[in-house]
Amino acid sequence: MTSTTPRRARTRSPLTGYLLRRLGTSVLLLIGVTLVTFTLTTLVPGDPIAAALGEGAASNPATVAAYVERYGLDRSLPERYLIYLGNLTQGDLGTSIQTGRPVLEDLSVAIPASVEVALCAIVLSLAVALALGTLAAHRRGRVSDQVIRVVSLIGLSVPMFWLAIMAYHLFFLRLGIAPGSGRLSPHLNPPPRITGLYTIDFVLNGDPVGFFDAVAHLALPVLVLSLFTIGLLTRFVRTSVLEVLGSDYVRAARAKGLPRRRVIGAYVLRGAALPILTVAGVAFGILLSGTVLVEAVFAWPGLGTYAYNSAIALDLPGVMGVGLVVGVIYLVINFVVDLLYGVLDPRVRLA
Amino acid sequence: MFRSSRRTAIAVGIAGSLALVGCSGGNTANQGSGDDGEPAVSDTLVIDTAFSLETGDPGRNYVPTGNMVLHAVYDTLLTFEGSDEDEPLPALATMEQNDEATEFTFTLDGERTFSDGTPVDADDVVFSLTRVQGMTDSKANFLMNGITVEKVDDLTVRLVTETPSLQVPAIMTNPALSILNSEAVQANGGTNGADDAAEDFLNGQSVGSGPYLLDSLDLTSQVVLVANPDYDGDTPPAYERIVIRNVSESATQLINLQGGDSQLAVDLNGDQVAGLADEFTVTSVPSAQTIFLLINQDEEVGGATANPEFAEAVRYSVDTSELLELAGAGAVSATGVIPPMFPGSLAEPIAPDLDRAEQALTASGYDGETLRLQFPNDFPVGGVEFTPVAERLQSQLEAAGITVELAPAPFATEIDPYVNGEEAFSMWFWGPDFADSSSFLPFGPGEKVGLRAGWTAEDAPQIAELVTAAATATDTAEREQAMSAYAAAMQEDGPFVPLVVPGVNLAGDGSVANVEYNSTWTLDIRLLAPAN
Repeated sequence: MTSTTPRRARTRSPLTGYLLRRLGTSVLLLIGVTLVTFTLTTLVPGDPIAAALGEGAASNPATVAAYVERYGLDRSLPERYLIYLGNLTQGDLGTSIQTGRPVLEDLSVAIPASVEVALCAIVLSLAVALALGTLAAHRRGRVSDQVIRVVSLIGLSVPMFWLAIMAYHLFFLRLGIAPGSGRLSPHLNPPPRITGLYTIDFVLNGDPVGFFDAVAHLALPVLVLSLFTIGLLTRFVRTSVLEVLGSDYVRAARAKGLPRRRVIGAYVLRGAALPILTVAGVAFGILLSGTVLVEAVFAWPGLGTYAYNSAIALDLPGVMGVGLVVGVIYLVINFVVDLLYGVLDPRVRLA
Repeated sequence: MFRSSRRTAIAVGIAGSLALVGCSGGNTANQGSGDDGEPAVSDTLVIDTAFSLETGDPGRNYVPTGNMVLHAVYDTLLTFEGSDEDEPLPALATMEQNDEATEFTFTLDGERTFSDGTPVDADDVVFSLTRVQGMTDSKANFLMNGITVEKVDDLTVRLVTETPSLQVPAIMTNPALSILNSEAVQANGGTNGADDAAEDFLNGQSVGSGPYLLDSLDLTSQVVLVANPDYDGDTPPAYERIVIRNVSESATQLINLQGGDSQLAVDLNGDQVAGLADEFTVTSVPSAQTIFLLINQDEEVGGATANPEFAEAVRYSVDTSELLELAGAGAVSATGVIPPMFPGSLAEPIAPDLDRAEQALTASGYDGETLRLQFPNDFPVGGVEFTPVAERLQSQLEAAGITVELAPAPFATEIDPYVNGEEAFSMWFWGPDFADSSSFLPFGPGEKVGLRAGWTAEDAPQIAELVTAAATATDTAEREQAMSAYAAAMQEDGPFVPLVVPGVNLAGDGSVANVEYNSTWTLDIRLLAPAN
């Protein structure tokens, strides 16, 4: 009789496995993003070198040859794509044709500018939308509900560019309560770069003048951008809260005599949080990458402006860089939202 | 209990943050303080413009905002004074040329120094010019094509060309050919070969002899210049600090100017300056750009319309005065391929003549074919949008019996077929490579733009001779005459219809004097001074 001792299987925690799977999927998705962006950009007719160099330099064979060599434009498209991927693994996003600088360097300026304004806008939007949406749901059919629904519809419908110009004209030029354009007043220097977010960097450098000036410059772009996301989120909050209000466990909580505030905070909003989170994540992504016109009005050097300039200049490395960053942004947002699902809903955690 | 302690923690956190923010430390750019503790900014001039800025390295720069900034920081051998671009004037050097216009000798006065106190000498000139020549990847590299640089002595440099080149003095005014402190540049990676690596250094600090120093350069948001305390030239700095901001939206530039956030706006269009109140000053002048129609003379490309008679029919069908309504303040009708500010330009535009247009149209063999008018629709020039101009042209040509279909496309897409001569009928623009009439000779038959219209030297040998005469003239009077003859012949028989010279509108809040336009650096920052 022989006894065999079973080999102990190496165990991996479910969370580690989940994270590895997510990471693998994310990498594949990002490669897909680069492939689609590369293919679409190269399909656009036009000569990026002619567009970048201008008349004089484009007639100079030496300069054209230098550019062709620098950007590998004499290679086949598959070869260029593979080289791009190879460089990407080393953290090299290539050199922008329009600025002549590494794309990563360009993005390191554009991303913090967008993050700063988008973060403030999404926090403000969530706070206002939760309050308004919950109120509208609780007063369904009443005047306050109608007013909130109309206001949120206006927020969704008003053209952001027009709103930005009007707001800037009113609050800066007419009322004088908002500062001028840009991230900072012209008599101030930007803070020594730590995070790229002016408000944070000013705090870390102990500069109150700069901090309050940066906050003042953030206010108007944040308000304008928030109007759209407040409209979007308010409608979702209202719908989600209405669904939860009709559920058995909320009725039971009310029947137990729990205070109204407790019911809303601990039961209703928590139950409605999942769809709201999903939409908030999407809205944050839009705020980060899709606000070209608002950035133009407020002279805000963000990701949207960089994306637009790259696209019209046929700047393939620039466009690829933006595509990659936007892809990463959405993947991160989705990942964070999924993790928050787990926090908010134990059933998801178990699954 | 728990909730109250959490609130306490949050309150303490906020208080701590505010305490940290409120601790000592302030912004280094504060120009002192007013009585109320607010930073005094009277010494700061703020200029808003839509950036076309790629570098702080003069040798690599060939874009408008770069020219504007670098012209204030660096000196060139020659320059233009204010808006007068008739003749280059001495800057760092005086110039003499030989009778054949193939040797140009520049003599430094030996009195000028760079911002670090180093004297400007011939070695700096030779290095700066040969550096541009060596950097083949620089957009400005072509400026030095065909020019040999020789050091004669410590204060003298000679430029030699193989053929007569009366444009050399104008080329030497370009900020790309600024004179740099050669020792400082070479100590930081500068060479006069393709391996030059001084750009990062020059993006961080300036090594010139101009009235301003580069304090900071952010290619996406703003450039800050400060006064050069050791400047020893003719135009001392009038401001302690100049901030040039990137404001791409002209509506924002207007609001900033009206609200006092800026003192100068560079990119306002004609409508915007028309609405400014009296306290604002506006310098409205024609730019050096020309918007024109191209009628391809290659039968394979242009088909039935590929003949000089059809070009003539178009030329006399167009009423440029009506197009000016769309162009706004400062714009003028194009009198020919050479804009009015340059020697050799014609005095008057062609007046519309529908009878002549009809005769030419009949002679051309045009049989009612629909022409596609191609043009870039995302690239306004001097505030002039191409689409409304194209629409008005369409109706004018319709009145003359020519059917036109509009075919707009993005600039980056459209430029390829234009440059390759594949467009039958299109609307484009042209600006000078440097401030000289010779920049408009490429319209000639067999030349760069002429070939884009399928127009060879064999198609118009007489005009080709006029181009040669203008290009090889050895004195300015002779050249101006040749340029005029060329411009007149182009208006008579060329495949181009010059339409409009867009305006430039430099708007100020009244606190700034000496606002001058130049076709290369747009706004002459070194001349700006408080109005009082």
